Amino acid sequence: MFKLNLKIALRNLWKNKTSSFINVIGLAIGLSACLMLLLYVSYEWNFDKQAKNWKNVYTAMTNVPGEGNKIAGTFNGTTTALGPLLKQNLPEVKYVARMDYGKKSLIANGQNSFKKDSKFAEPNILKMYDYEFISGDAKTALSNPLSVVLTESTAKTLFGTADVLNKSVRYQDKENLTITGVIKDLPENSSNRFDFLMPWSFYEILDPSVKDLNWNNYSFVTMVMLNPDANIDLVNRKVEALVKANTPQTPQSQPHFLYQASKLHLFGKFENGQPVGGNIEQIWLFMGLAFGILLIACINFMNMATAKSEKRAKEVGIKKTIGANRTSLIFQFLTESMVLTLVAVVLAIALLEICLPAFNGLLSINLGISYFNAASWIGILGIVVSTGLIAGSYPAFYLSSFNPIQTLKRKIKSRGILTVSLRQVLVIGQFCFAIILIISTLVIYRQIQYIKNKPVGFDVNTLVEIPQDGELKTKFELFKTEMLKSGAVASMYQSSVSLSHHGRNFMDMKWDGMTKPENTVMFNQVATSYDFIKTNGIKLLQGRDFSKTFASDTSAVMVSASAVKVFGYKNPIGKKVTIFGDNAYIIGVFDDYVWDSPYKSNNPQVVFLNQKQTGTITMRLNNSNNLQSNIETITRITKAFNPAYPTEITFINSLYQEKYKSEKTLGILSNLFGGLAIFVSCLGLFGLVAYSAEQRTKEFGVRKVLGASVANLMQLLSFSFIKMIIIAIIIAVPISYFAMGKWLNNFEFHTEISWWIIPVAALGTLSMALITVSFQAYKTAKANPVDALKYE
Amino acid sequence: MIELKNIEKYYATKGVKHYVLRHVSTSIKQGEFVSIMGPSGAGKSTLLNILGMLEEPTYGSYEFMGEDVTTLNERKRIELYRNHIGFVFQAYHLIDEMTVYENIEAPLLYKKIGGSERKSRIADLLDRFNIVAKKDLFPNQLSGGQQQLVGIARALAAQPSIILADEPTGNLQSAQAEEIMNLFQKLNKEEGITIIQVTHSEKNAQYGNRILHIADGVIKEDLVV
Repeated sequence: MFKLNLKIALRNLWKNKTSSFINVIGLAIGLSACLMLLLYVSYEWNFDKQAKNWKNVYTAMTNVPGEGNKIAGTFNGTTTALGPLLKQNLPEVKYVARMDYGKKSLIANGQNSFKKDSKFAEPNILKMYDYEFISGDAKTALSNPLSVVLTESTAKTLFGTADVLNKSVRYQDKENLTITGVIKDLPENSSNRFDFLMPWSFYEILDPSVKDLNWNNYSFVTMVMLNPDANIDLVNRKVEALVKANTPQTPQSQPHFLYQASKLHLFGKFENGQPVGGNIEQIWLFMGLAFGILLIACINFMNMATAKSEKRAKEVGIKKTIGANRTSLIFQFLTESMVLTLVAVVLAIALLEICLPAFNGLLSINLGISYFNAASWIGILGIVVSTGLIAGSYPAFYLSSFNPIQTLKRKIKSRGILTVSLRQVLVIGQFCFAIILIISTLVIYRQIQYIKNKPVGFDVNTLVEIPQDGELKTKFELFKTEMLKSGAVASMYQSSVSLSHHGRNFMDMKWDGMTKPENTVMFNQVATSYDFIKTNGIKLLQGRDFSKTFASDTSAVMVSASAVKVFGYKNPIGKKVTIFGDNAYIIGVFDDYVWDSPYKSNNPQVVFLNQKQTGTITMRLNNSNNLQSNIETITRITKAFNPAYPTEITFINSLYQEKYKSEKTLGILSNLFGGLAIFVSCLGLFGLVAYSAEQRTKEFGVRKVLGASVANLMQLLSFSFIKMIIIAIIIAVPISYFAMGKWLNNFEFHTEISWWIIPVAALGTLSMALITVSFQAYKTAKANPVDALKYE
Repeated sequence: MIELKNIEKYYATKGVKHYVLRHVSTSIKQGEFVSIMGPSGAGKSTLLNILGMLEEPTYGSYEFMGEDVTTLNERKRIELYRNHIGFVFQAYHLIDEMTVYENIEAPLLYKKIGGSERKSRIADLLDRFNIVAKKDLFPNQLSGGQQQLVGIARALAAQPSIILADEPTGNLQSAQAEEIMNLFQKLNKEEGITIIQVTHSEKNAQYGNRILHIADGVIKEDLVV
């Protein structure tokens, strides 16, 4: 029986090529979109979950107190003192490993030198994350201070082979380290990635402040592995009490808690110290998109199948009279939809393989089908089976319920009120979804444009920066002179952070007329050298830039306009503020510029002169030379100062482009999937119209003989479909208006939903549908009436 | 075998009853070959449909093989279709997507008959109806007469005790019609299969041994040939 069903299913597919094509293509697109997004979701979902013990690995988090007993922010930086305190006093703690945040540093094998992601960590990190050692021993790899663990690809870049145990590499052109282990490259979906790992004990040698167990410097990460049976709530209460008892308490004291490390990626947003989601929201959105498209394709299948009911009804009738029961018929129809889904899934996987590189390029990630593990394959199988069931069940139950005599007498009410209205509801649902996606796409696009067009506060073009490494730290003045002399650079300065940076926040700030005993407003600090404003071109509202002509500028600050607002100074120039206990006088006020997120107003900023805090060198290129030669000159001079280091010149405008990345991703995805949703919906509409036209050929023939024009007939056929689209528009517009309004409110700086977006989306959809419908309608209406009438 | 008592069938439209059958009572015994005749709209097809349990009478009782079938549930009815009743239609109603062989096989599959038995029965039927060469063709590749032969072969596959035929030769040329009618006669005489056919043609009715004349829903005449 099953074999026969299968055969008949295949013959049916072959016979009705148009509808099979529509169904298979629709389902294949839906499934591949679904698989692609699921790939992305499983990539994100498995972030930091590769280790065997990932469930027990926690990160110590710090709450930053804000105004009125609220918590202003939560981050994963901790002090050096926290880790040892936890290890000594909490029996639940199995291992503690302190790390730094990691940075790019120089690693060299002879002349072969590269800047790679480096990290310092305590040896216990190897017990938390079971890195796969190709060579070397995890137990002893980090015990010697002058040792290093390389990833396989780092070893290959440096030595051309992974067989490098006990060889030596040079770190930052300063120290020789012995390679004590080579590990497999870390998976891309892990947060603590590095190219080489060095022991904490080496960090203590390099930077004595690391050795000191302090409670002030929150630049370190503390990883904690708890016993599997530990109760995290209980542990967190103990942590809080422990820290309180062991540190001096001030209003600025920052309480700690432990948070599952793997959660940080998707649930990393905190409000008032409580997790409130994060990237997970995007994951839900993508899941919704994926299943939405799949559902649209399933609806196509259902509509096509029920539209064909008149044809199939005869078959049902005959089968019933020769002894088929309902179960066997339902089984037959489900077999058909399963066969179709299976064909579609093969096509979908092929489509996925073809599109994945482009998709990866769009989102700049690196997904592969290999991210699907055994469990996900079972999931895919589940999706296929449930797709087949969802798509097939309604037609199967509907068709198999036919009464044989009605169907054989051809009295089937295929245009009864109920059946048609369900089909209409489904079509309306499809187009609602499509229209919502179009409107969302337009709004997201407008928002990105709005933020992009919002001035950042200075001219980002012709600005470049290089990291201040090696000799550039000590010989900056000489470097500056040579650069300016070469003519490639018009002006330059060094600063502790790049122009585009995340907060380097602090609160130890006092000013005249402060109402509270302690400041609770976060300030952002930048230490710089001369020519700060001259180079970057940020608008100076009052006062002046730092200048060598004023010796007193060592105790001078420039502040942003928003900082002046916090101070409440009417005439800020010359007023006193106290930073970290030192007095400083305001010499200049500059306009706020975008340095962190372009979507919200950034913290107030203070800029002071401190040439010891090195970090980045920013340069304004000389416009009169061409770019190429400027870059070459900079590279040449930098190389002369720092032969061991590769030169990395970054254009500031590319740094600012980076800031739009997540919204751009959202835009791309909604564009892509909105387009697909429309396409698949139109495909379904085409099928329905084609079928409706086929059913009504006789009627059309008669009408033509009676004198109806082509236009009359087209109108007749199109109107019922266009009506559905209009209803869909009426439903979708308020929903998307509301939803996108809510989305926009997430941003402090946001555009309004322009009135024209709605007619554009509506007319766009309508005309797409109209083209689809009228193509078929025209074909039918033009047909010779005799062809239609000569049957029967 | 068949016992009809006071069968009534009407359709109510806007409160007005349109009678199709009125006070139909008759009995048909095993082995009879009955032809139902009458003008268009007389109710003969409705009667046949009621006999085939495709339609339910509005009133009256219908016993099939001693069992009251007016209140039969779907499962029991399908059992009857599988084991006792074979249908032959004017428009053949073969399943377009199946080959001749598969069309004949279908009722056997529903009846869950084993593979070897199935094969021998189909081979036998193909042989008897001289359509062995056509077994892999699809219905639309056959002539009307050939299609109807397949239809009859399909009806016979499950070895029913009764065949219900609704104008089996209505779409056929006279030569083909004669062939089909001869076949029915032979089945009736040699295998004792009860046959009830609806027909317009006086000539076809003569192949049977009993004629029911129906007009305006009433049996006017019950003739033995």
